[in-house]
Amino acid sequence: MSDYVKASPHFFNIVKVAFAVALLCLLFFAFFVQAPLQGPADIGRVPNPSKSAWFLMWTQELVSYSNAMIYLILGLGLVFLLLPWLPISRPADKAQWLPADQRTVNLLALLSFCGIVLLTVIAMYFRGENWSFVFGF
Amino acid sequence: MKEDDFLKEFIRHLFPRVVLRSNLRLTYTFCLGGLAFTAFLVLILSGALLLFHYQPSTERAFASILYLENSVPGGWYVRNLHRLAGNTFLILLFLHTLRVLLTGAYRKPRELNWIIGFVILCLALFEGYTGYLLPMDQLALWATQTGMNLLATLPFGELLRSFLVPDDVGQPMSLVRFYVLHIAVIPLCMLILCMLHFYRIRKDKGVLPYL
Repeated sequence: MSDYVKASPHFFNIVKVAFAVALLCLLFFAFFVQAPLQGPADIGRVPNPSKSAWFLMWTQELVSYSNAMIYLILGLGLVFLLLPWLPISRPADKAQWLPADQRTVNLLALLSFCGIVLLTVIAMYFRGENWSFVFGF
Repeated sequence: MKEDDFLKEFIRHLFPRVVLRSNLRLTYTFCLGGLAFTAFLVLILSGALLLFHYQPSTERAFASILYLENSVPGGWYVRNLHRLAGNTFLILLFLHTLRVLLTGAYRKPRELNWIIGFVILCLALFEGYTGYLLPMDQLALWATQTGMNLLATLPFGELLRSFLVPDDVGQPMSLVRFYVLHIAVIPLCMLILCMLHFYRIRKDKGVLPYL
């Protein structure tokens, strides 16, 4: 048991600090980051381009290439969901960053993460009228 | 036992009694799960305050947001906080999921907690989406409309769409459904799953990271 320490206070101190830091940051930045509010909803005024919520923009960008891309998203989601049962993932004996015995998963996760960020940035800043590619800056 | 002690004991029992010393390194987990849960708590509290002024009707929703912003003392701040906490929550959950993947923490024997976490992430995205419509401004209407078009491309998407939007996006029935899902159904499911997530961490103690 020498590698173990009691959760209280060792673990709880970290939890408390994390809680306080997150809370203070949110309370502070809420003074400066304005929640957007446009004019009242009007079904007759269609914006061009019409963009989805920021966290879904990567799916919108992907589907803009082809509707079939939705199956790529679903397939990838399913792969990640079932990851513990796939042959590429063996039971873990210890936890560490980027373990060598799951290189495929590391690569898949990093590529997916970078892809989602890239697609979100393209959709957010580089899409203009009729979803044409424009330079946002 | 005093009420304060009872609460402390209850919180302690959600977590493991002992933890691996090496798992307490900050660079190991970056406390992303704990930070995300904090943002979730802020969302619940700020959302509860917004409920006192928000009116979920197509005629009154936008006006009630304007009233909240301009006439309620601190109303603009609570709305800013809710929005900021919502965005922060999603980013932290996303990063937490990536951390779990890259540290192999999803693997057996923690596969059940991986599934629970995955469902929490999906529910959080759905929660964010349902909240988007509520202000009933142009951004809300068209972002939701675009989301519905995306949903329609999914298998059984039309069925889901007809449940979420029985009339049309921004019409009375769809607003009420989004409202009920956003303030009650999804947060309750998420809260239950978060408790289960913490409980599983306690059950699986000693193997992998905790935060």
